[in-house]
Order: sequence, then structure tokens, then C-alpha cells
Amino acid sequence: MKGRFLSLLVPPTAWLVVFLVLPTAVLALSAFSVDGLKALAHPGTWVLFWRSFWIAAVSTSICLAVSYPVAYFIAGCSPRWRNLLLFLVVLPFWTNLLVRTYALKFCLDPIGWSNTGAVIFAIVQNFLPFMILPLYSSIEKLPKRLLEASQDLGASPAGTFWKVTVPLTMPGIAAGSILVFIPVFGIFALPEFINERTVLIGSQINLYYGQGNAGAGSALTMVLMVFTVALTWTYSRFRKSEGLV
Amino acid sequence: MRKLLGGFTGLVLVALYAPIAVMVLFSFNESKYSVKWTGFTLDWYRKLADNDLIHQDLWNTLKIAAASTAAATVLGTMAALAARETFRGKRLYTTLVALPVMVPDIVLGISLFAMFRRFEIPLSLGTATIAHTTFNLAYVAVVVSARLQGLDRSIELAAQDLGATPFRAFWKVTLPAILPGVVSGAVLAFTLSFDDFVITYFTTGPGNGTLPMRIYSMVRFAVTPEINAISTVILAASLVLIGVALRISKVPVSGGGR
Repeated sequence: MKGRFLSLLVPPTAWLVVFLVLPTAVLALSAFSVDGLKALAHPGTWVLFWRSFWIAAVSTSICLAVSYPVAYFIAGCSPRWRNLLLFLVVLPFWTNLLVRTYALKFCLDPIGWSNTGAVIFAIVQNFLPFMILPLYSSIEKLPKRLLEASQDLGASPAGTFWKVTVPLTMPGIAAGSILVFIPVFGIFALPEFINERTVLIGSQINLYYGQGNAGAGSALTMVLMVFTVALTWTYSRFRKSEGLV
Repeated sequence: MRKLLGGFTGLVLVALYAPIAVMVLFSFNESKYSVKWTGFTLDWYRKLADNDLIHQDLWNTLKIAAASTAAATVLGTMAALAARETFRGKRLYTTLVALPVMVPDIVLGISLFAMFRRFEIPLSLGTATIAHTTFNLAYVAVVVSARLQGLDRSIELAAQDLGATPFRAFWKVTLPAILPGVVSGAVLAFTLSFDDFVITYFTTGPGNGTLPMRIYSMVRFAVTPEINAISTVILAASLVLIGVALRISKVPVSGGGR
């Protein structure tokens, strides 16, 4: 039994150690260099991180505000409609992100919309499915009797929504926010498509490597990595789960 | 209230699909420079069909996707099966396995690039395949894990009590039960690999570009109807993949994302 377990455990773990942990270690080494530390000490770097942070935060908030009513509506549909709508929401996720972004650019360029607002719009449009799905699954699990109880006890519809529905769907809100926020924080390629002047952290890493300044590129990547791992770790502490999901 | 929500949902769906529809439509537009409709043509597709560079890109994309899907399906399924047991350091292990799903693409791409460079391994289709296997492993593991959660372990134990070797019990009982999960994981992996741009961009060798990379460099140069045509072809390929996935098994809609 033990031998069987080890033969399952070792190959994927070995792969991840060689191609995930080791690269991270190499990256860390390269980040702790003169170039790397210089980049981290440069105020411009933190301006860039701050810009990436607020763009990710704004995009995540808009995604949440747009997705909640959609997820709420889908959860209240008949099973047939529900499946159809979920399918329609998820379908774009199965297609290429660059293609979707290009399609948007193709429509936005002629009307001359290509500022940071357009970048945020493009991000929201691309990442909506990641917010709608977790929201849907937690809204769908809401016990109906709690909502009825709240109304029977005199709460207004708005009161029920803010005091019962929202707190009970917090797991979905948290999962969706993390699924949107993290990839957007380190996004690369999408901003370049919509507006070249909206330089975010991902583009800067690419620029540094393009200029042959690997130390600076690694330092920025390392900060992104540490931030992601910290966020993921904190999040995983708040949800109890067996296995990987 | 329901009507209002329904209308809003409709609007969101329009926002999701309208740009794609417009882009596809204009891949059949005659005019090269105008955004006005001037007439129907298949010229852009003919140009694609005659373009050897595009053929090479498509071939590279498929090679990376097929090889990384095969490797990741095996490794990811193993990772999910191992995660069922309780052992010391399990939290570290599950974090490690799920990490490639969580970190932004650029982090994975750059760190692999940095390692290949440090050890002087020349970038090639092989290094890109390694990179794809790493993120695909995580996605397969998550999808198979979801399937395993609904599986009653007592059946496997019963098979072993009745004299089946652990291997035979796995082959005859566990594998058939989780097969839909494994297939969904594989299809997801293939799709993600087929669509990936960022990680390939940092890990593939010169002259070993993929279709998404071709789009990237073309768009940064100029918007042309040819890009609409390539995009439409990629879109159609993705739709065929989804069709296959839906036929083979019930695709987990919450498969995760990239």
C-alpha cells in the first residue's frame, strides 16, 4: 500500500520540484543581484505595482458587481435555462484570450476608445466567467428557507439581500475575487493590445528581459510570486477542504 | 425584478459575444483597410492556406499541445490520486500541485525561462512542452480530484479484499470510475495549451512560434483582415474541441481558468 502511494506521489512531485520549485529558486537568486535590488529600490517600480494593484482591484470590483446579478438570475432559472446560460457564460473561457482581446480591440479601435478605461473594460469582459461561476455555485446552494425566514421576520428584500444572501455567498465572492485578481495583477499581452501606454507590471518584466536586464525582471517577478503565494495561502486557510478542490 | 435581472444578463451576454461576432464577420470583408463592409470574400482564408509560416505555427501549436497533454494527464492523475491519502506535509503538497493554476502566467513563464538560461538549455519546442506540462499537470489534478471526491473508496477496498492486486483494482475499478474526470482534464489541458500565449512566448525557441504568438506579433504590427481570419480559425478549432469534450464526457464547467 505504501509502495503504491509513493509510486503515485513521487513522479508528479519530482516534476514540480524540477520545473516549478527549482526555477523559482533560480529566479530568486537572479533577483538578489545588484540589478534586481536596484530595480526594487527604484520608486518607479512601486508606482507600477501600485498601478497594477488598483487596476486589478477596480477590475475585480466591476467583475463582482456585474457578475452577481447574472449569477443570481441564472441560479433562479429552470434547470434547462440554467444549463444553457452557464454554457454560454463559460464558452468564451474555452477560446483563446488573445483572440477575444483582439476581437474587442477590433471593435474598440474604430470608435477610438483605447485608454486605461478600455483596458479595464477588456479585462472585465475577459474575466467575467471566473467570477460568475463561483458566485453561481454558492448562490445555488443558498437554503431557500433562510431567505423566507428573513422575509417572514420582517426584513425588506434589500435587508434580506445584504444581511443574509451576501454573507452566505461570501465563499463564492472570495473565490471569484481571487480567481480574477491574481491573474489580472500579473497580466501581460492584453494591455499591450488595447493600449500600449498602460504599462503594468507584466509588461515591465517583459521589457526588462527584452533589454537584457534579467536581474530587474526577476526581482519584479519574484515580488509578484511572493504576493500570489501569500494570497493563495491565506485563502486556503479560510476554506477547509480535502484533496485539491 | 426577475425581468430586470434577465435583461441585464442578456446585455452581459451581448457584451461577451458581440465583439467575437463582429470580428468573425469582418474576416469575410473584401476591404483591407476599411472598417466598412464592402463585400463578401474568402481571400483572407486563401492567403492563410497558402502561408507556410502559418502552417508551421499550427503544427508547432499541435505538437506542444499533444505532447504536454499526454504527459500532464498521467502526472496530474497520479497527483490527484496521491492527494487522497493523509500524510505529513500534505498541505504543502496540495499547495505545490495547485500553484501553477494560481500564479500569473508570466511568473511561470519567466521562472522557467530563467532556469533554462541559467543551465544553458537552449529554448525549443521541448522546453515549451515542459512548461505546458507543468501548468497542465495542475489543471488535470484539480479536475480529476473533483471527480475522486464523489468516489466511494470502499469499492476499491472491496476489490482488493476479493483478491485483486492493487494494480488490478486500480485498472478495473478506480480508473473506469474516474475516466470521465481524466478525459475532461485531458481536453482542458489540450485546450489551455492550444490557447496559451504568455508561457509559450517565454519558453519556446526562435523559429518555434505558435499560432497565438503569430497573432500577437501581427496585431502589434497592424490590424488586418488576415488576423481576423486566423482568429476565426483558432476560434473554430476551440469550438470543435469543446464539441468533442461534450460528447466524450460531461465537462466540468467550473474547470478553472487561464
